[in-house]
Amino acid sequence: MKIVVCVKAVPSSTEVRFDPVSHTIIRDGKQAVINPFDAAALECALRIRETAGAHVTTLSMGIPDTVRILRDTVARGADEAVLLSDRAFAGSDTLATSYALACAVRKTGVPDLLICGKMAVDGDTAQIGPELAAALGIPAVTNVKEILSVGEDRIGVIRESDDGEQEVSVCLPALITVVKSIVDPRMPSIAGIRAAEAAAVSVWTAEEIGADPERTGLAGSATQVVRTFSPERKKECVYIEGSAVEQADRLRALVEELS
Amino acid sequence: MNIYELTQEYEIYLRDESRSIGHAASISFPENEAEMREIIMQMNAGGTPVTIQGGRTGLAAGAVPYGGHVMNLSKMDQLLDVTAEDGRYSFTVRPGMVLANLRKIIAGRKIDPEKMRSGPDAALAFINDREYFFPTDPTETSATIGGIAACNASGARSYKFGAARNHITRIRMILADGRIADIRRGEVFASGRRLVLPLTDGSSISAEIPSYQMPACKNASGYYARHDMDAVDLLIGSDGTLGAISEIGIELLPLPAYIWGVSCFLQDEDRAVRLTNALRDGFRNLAAIEYFDKGALDILREQKRKNTAFSALPALKKEYSCCIYAEIQEEDESAALQTLLQIGKCLTACGGREEDTWVARSDTDRETQQFFRHAVPESVNMLIDERKKTDPSITKLAGDMAVPDEHLAEVMHMYRETLAAAGLQSAVWGHMGNNHLHVNILPRDSRDYSLGKQLIAGWAEKVTAMGGAVSAEHGVGKLKRDFLAIMYGSARIEEMAALKKAFDPKGIFGRGNLFAAEVMVPSAGREAVPAGERETEAAE
Repeated sequence: MKIVVCVKAVPSSTEVRFDPVSHTIIRDGKQAVINPFDAAALECALRIRETAGAHVTTLSMGIPDTVRILRDTVARGADEAVLLSDRAFAGSDTLATSYALACAVRKTGVPDLLICGKMAVDGDTAQIGPELAAALGIPAVTNVKEILSVGEDRIGVIRESDDGEQEVSVCLPALITVVKSIVDPRMPSIAGIRAAEAAAVSVWTAEEIGADPERTGLAGSATQVVRTFSPERKKECVYIEGSAVEQADRLRALVEELS
Repeated sequence: MNIYELTQEYEIYLRDESRSIGHAASISFPENEAEMREIIMQMNAGGTPVTIQGGRTGLAAGAVPYGGHVMNLSKMDQLLDVTAEDGRYSFTVRPGMVLANLRKIIAGRKIDPEKMRSGPDAALAFINDREYFFPTDPTETSATIGGIAACNASGARSYKFGAARNHITRIRMILADGRIADIRRGEVFASGRRLVLPLTDGSSISAEIPSYQMPACKNASGYYARHDMDAVDLLIGSDGTLGAISEIGIELLPLPAYIWGVSCFLQDEDRAVRLTNALRDGFRNLAAIEYFDKGALDILREQKRKNTAFSALPALKKEYSCCIYAEIQEEDESAALQTLLQIGKCLTACGGREEDTWVARSDTDRETQQFFRHAVPESVNMLIDERKKTDPSITKLAGDMAVPDEHLAEVMHMYRETLAAAGLQSAVWGHMGNNHLHVNILPRDSRDYSLGKQLIAGWAEKVTAMGGAVSAEHGVGKLKRDFLAIMYGSARIEEMAALKKAFDPKGIFGRGNLFAAEVMVPSAGREAVPAGERETEAAE
């Protein structure tokens, strides 16, 4: 079985600090880390490999330094890692990103199973998994919280839905996105890190994966990030006093004012 | 100034993490130094004992009152100032500042520069500078900085950074009569063993520093005593017996760019000692070398199996009976990598396998490692709490002793042989790099409890004979003062009492800490301790 796990490098902290005088963002210089949802996706792949046998490839798109994140996935047990890195990819939204990932996946042949994290902690879009499946023309099962069985031609999972849970059996090849709590990712070992340092991480350009320039980067993006900012949070507290009836009347008036 | 009768409502303030229970007549929660001073002077006038409390996380009952008044400083938790000197930042904090909160302030730069006592400049520079940290890292992060200073606490990283003393630059302390000592490191020194301590009102205190030689290892046993010592070192680690700390200056260090933790698993304790010695000899950039024995790992295995709260613990292979955790700190990633790979070779040479190590290089992995390390004491406390349901008289018994490097293997064998001979269940963990293990005896009944107490007293004698310390980081408080007497002898204990008397003639502060209140009175013609304040043993 061949498994591809998509991983994204994300900032190590979700807390944004501002200089109290200049009001500019303070860069703490911390290195990017693997998106925690993707770490869970990799752990799922490694566990499938332990029970059913598989070849696990991790795939990412990003700046050259993302090799460091991919090397870490090899340290944790991935068999090989591929990075898509090219100025042509700059400014990609989820549509252009999933197109590029699909091109890379096709280059080596569509695997039996693709596993993505449900979403990335920086963008929170949860779009890459479904878009990649659509680009490849394979079924997608999102928000998987448990893998029940992995066969030669089917995978059985439980997914979280708005109404509760669904048990789904889907034919392979397929793509699943997993929630963070599905498994606790293992830590790398010294032996794994030693092997990862010696491993070659393939770096592919847009041309090498045969990507159409019109569908990559800014040109291929249906959306653009216009501005990034920390949301302003306002808290106001109104104390309502009086009898129960008076309080209820005042509460109703307040709700009406707000709506 | 509010002083409350210590009614049932305030009962929790009669206890600390040592699980000892004391007694007191009144309690206060001062909010500023003026209130502290007023209460202290009032208590001193009546000869009423005053026990100072911070987070009540101590393990030696130093904050458990033996009568009199409890002064709880939890409301005095402000950051007062940020200063910069020679490229280093110092914070001035009130004693009730909780360690976890201090860390949040440092990491998140949660500082209002305009509110800093010496102006906004240093705070603004700090906010925009690289990351810094306070290296003292006791497991319990609800400890207060005042408590940390009072017992000279340390933690895992003391292997590299030493105890809290090394990072405290100033102590401001209110004495029993209301006078104030405000001592900065490097300004006041003893002359030999004679100390003249200047006070803020222009007066001074003269005192003899005890004549003992401190052990050449990690030590939090009794007053710091050394020829020509810095006066601030006497106030640090004085276990709440000399006065009440109202401000503390702490120095921060630049946070290393790379902090990697590695857990190495081994099949027996002798190999763990060999690996520890190899790490100590071969590496200069390790911040911590920690140990977990089979008893500790078995408790974790059981917790993971039975308790869903611990299900996220990484699985422990059954062939391993102990673990050495080392923390690498480096400014350069390639140097950190080289160190890690070298540790792998040392581990292999000691019979371990690189494949069965856990390496934490990211915050997520570090959190997992920390969860594992902190789950050990937490699980032991849960186990004892469960056993207390059938026999309320028992409690956890724990050693906090350290020895010089050359006695590591010897002290480990001593613990192992005596525990086996007594047939007691135990879990051992702690700071192997400092030859400082927390040997926890887990009594199943009152017989085990009694045997365990005898065993630990025996260890105190043997550790003293090895040139070690009976308390390496928890302080002496009330529970280890008998061990302190074993370590230094009664004549030196009387010297400590004489020193205390110079600061606190009526002996109101921390009564029962370090030594019994009666020791304060000269041997010939000892006066009676004031009625109602005679020391009574805390119930464990």
